[in-house]
Amino acid sequence: MLEPFLFFLFAVLAVVGALGMLISRNPVQSALWMVMTLFAVACLYLTLNAQFIGVVQILVYAGAIMVLFLFVIMLLNLEATPRLGGLDWKKGVAFVLGVAVLAQLLVILSLRLNAAPTLLPAAEAADATSVENLGLALLTEHAFSLEIIGVLLLAATIGAVLLAKKRFV
Amino acid sequence: MDLALNWYLSLSAVLFTIGVLGVLLRRNAIVIFLSIELMLNAVNLSLVAFSQAFGDVDGQILVFFVMSVAAAEAAVGLAIVIALFRNKLTVNVNEINLFRG
Amino acid sequence: MLTDFLPLFIMVVLAAGLALTLLKLAEWLGPYRPRAVKSSPYESGMDPVGTARERYSVKFYLVAMIFIVFDVEIVFMYPWAVSFKTFLEGGGGLASLAIIGVFILILFVGLIYDIKKGGLDWD
Repeated sequence: MLEPFLFFLFAVLAVVGALGMLISRNPVQSALWMVMTLFAVACLYLTLNAQFIGVVQILVYAGAIMVLFLFVIMLLNLEATPRLGGLDWKKGVAFVLGVAVLAQLLVILSLRLNAAPTLLPAAEAADATSVENLGLALLTEHAFSLEIIGVLLLAATIGAVLLAKKRFV
Repeated sequence: MDLALNWYLSLSAVLFTIGVLGVLLRRNAIVIFLSIELMLNAVNLSLVAFSQAFGDVDGQILVFFVMSVAAAEAAVGLAIVIALFRNKLTVNVNEINLFRG
Repeated sequence: MLTDFLPLFIMVVLAAGLALTLLKLAEWLGPYRPRAVKSSPYESGMDPVGTARERYSVKFYLVAMIFIVFDVEIVFMYPWAVSFKTFLEGGGGLASLAIIGVFILILFVGLIYDIKKGGLDWD
């Protein structure tokens, strides 16, 4: 009985945070709403018995990436942007497109996954995806992908230092 | 009442849609980046849900890869935003039209 | 499984509840008589000049960015560390060490580049 309650609690928190991010005028507020969404998603990972992913979500997303965003917002010292404004035709088209994406996703969901399984029993799923099994798969099956990710992170380090240190004007 | 996979997938679809709307409606480059992170998160949520539903570890490994791609993307993307701001003094993507002069 | 987190959840609720209660209690019980001088930022100091939203230096961004990269590196190393014993028992200890070693080496190149470029210098 606990799980459905927690799911709806954190689902509502996540959606509220996402909407807050969407409609905040100030970028700092947008980033803080986003932190709320990230925390809610981390808690949803806990309800799925994926504890390690949940902790990593908070460490990497809420702890590091969002701090980077906040530093950049404060570095650029952005003022509040004007309100979303009236609904001109571009906004209307954008809104229709967004709703179309949602409708598409939900239709696919209702069509293909009528026979969708319920989640595996908690203990079973947690055993199958324990950190140990994660490490085993990461270093055998996905070893090459791991090295590629290393190269990607190297490129990110070099690119970011190069771009940020460069004197432009 | 058991927790079904569909609930998580529906929530993921809703979050993804909010991310799409953010990219389409907002003109601030940083908020657009935040929306992209939100979409990545929505996909991560469905990946973890699938991984737990089928007891398969591959989904979670993919989530790690997505997270590191998101970190790299944030680092380089924000560096580009800083560089653009230095040149154009704005992060409004409507006013950044280098090719049109 | 999830009930393992119940103590943590209770603690978070208690901590947030205590903080909010104390704040509201102080507001409710304490006297509130504002004057122009009392509500200025420094009651008996000089008047502040300019805005509080000072621009941050780009150095903060550089350090945060380098932190992210090595944060992600640790995330990948943790599952390896947990499963290393199994690798040792299965005879794949050295191979897994080599794989993670190459990974660390690749990122080490980035660190060297940062130091050479002065990305970690504060001044």
